[in-house]
Amino acid sequence: MIGAAFRDTLADAKAGDEAAFTRLFRDVQPALLRYLRLIAPDADDVAGDTWLQVVGGLERFRGEEQDFRAWLFTIARHRAVDSGRSRARRPAIPLEMTEAEQQPTISDAADQALEAVSTRAVLELIASLPGDQAEIILLRVVAGLEAREVARIVGKSPGAVRVAAHRGLRKLAGLTALPDAERAGTRPGVTH
Amino acid sequence: MHDEMPGFFPGRPGGEHDEPLLDMLLERRPLPPGAPPPLHDLARMLAAAAGPAESGDLAGEDAARAAFRRRRSPAGVSHAAPRSARHRLTARPARGRLPLAAALAVAAAGLGSATAAYAGALPSPIQHIAHEYIGAPPPHYDLSQSRPVIISSSPVRASRTSAPRARQTRRVPASPTPLGNSHLHSKYPRYTPGSSFASCQPAPAATQNQGHPAPTPSASHPRPSPGASSLGPHQSHPGHDRVSPWPSASGWTPVPAGTDCPALPVK
Repeated sequence: MIGAAFRDTLADAKAGDEAAFTRLFRDVQPALLRYLRLIAPDADDVAGDTWLQVVGGLERFRGEEQDFRAWLFTIARHRAVDSGRSRARRPAIPLEMTEAEQQPTISDAADQALEAVSTRAVLELIASLPGDQAEIILLRVVAGLEAREVARIVGKSPGAVRVAAHRGLRKLAGLTALPDAERAGTRPGVTH
Repeated sequence: MHDEMPGFFPGRPGGEHDEPLLDMLLERRPLPPGAPPPLHDLARMLAAAAGPAESGDLAGEDAARAAFRRRRSPAGVSHAAPRSARHRLTARPARGRLPLAAALAVAAAGLGSATAAYAGALPSPIQHIAHEYIGAPPPHYDLSQSRPVIISSSPVRASRTSAPRARQTRRVPASPTPLGNSHLHSKYPRYTPGSSFASCQPAPAATQNQGHPAPTPSASHPRPSPGASSLGPHQSHPGHDRVSPWPSASGWTPVPAGTDCPALPVK
């Protein structure tokens, strides 16, 4: 988060300062990519489209840093939905392993998450949750959005968002609390 | 898939007791020291998920900066941009296109009006103005579309009696009934009856007695019907290229083309 300097940074970016825009980009892009990799297979392309739209609407944007992040993630979700529709119209036949087959198992991810606490392993563990729970947890924790902003983005009520987030966190805790022997036998796929 | 844990507080039914702690996790606030150990593990995992950028997390920075520069530069979009990017960047500056669209609309309207003027499709007063200013053909009085003459046996004039008089004086008569619209004819040139040449001077035979205006057409002496009068000038003077809108029934002679007569007042 940029914090108190956000207003000046945004004003400079609106005025055409590329360094200020780069600061905005670097502040949000990691969270954006982590979120998009959960909901869109072509996360990098969707992120590029998202930033193009942000650049186009930057002059008209009014708000604080939290509003900016909510606006950007709203755009990203819309672009991801568009991308999914586009892919649905052009179904591709996998030549080798499917994406689900290439995903690491939950036990692997849980081990890595607990041992090394690597970002990638934790994200993979979150990705093993039901789709709405994983998306809500990422928007709340990784993107840093409030419950009402997440509710607006995903089209649910704030109460439903809170319940889904709590369920997801409990499941995550249950996955990491499994005994090693039991965890070794679990190889469920990614559920969305 | 394993079910979620019932709660982080052993011995307590349900998971509602952990909700404040879960909210703290979601808001990335530090947990109290007495929180259950699984929650602390979870807090470490979530902190890692929201950790600093790793390799690959800033992918696309060059493309985004390039889009930002293109947005700022007046040169527009380069051909190296992706197709979707070109589409969005070119579709964006709607404010700059507004004057262009307005200018195109005005040009199209002007061109259409000029075309209609040269085709003679404008209403007579406007066609007359176009004739004077841009050399369009003079207004064509379509007699076939003239209004029907009201035949009345009353001594009232056969013109549109219900219409205001002031309004009628401003109109070019649609129906060639000079007697019914005699008050209009004092403004317009009259033509010498029976002469082989046209004149713009009032003709004695056609001049109406101002003190005794022409009688209203009656049933016993009807004026030519609109249909007949529409055919009259053209058929009775086939040698003329252009004819005056005034009929020859009252002894008026159509004006041949090229005759230098004053223009009709349109207002």
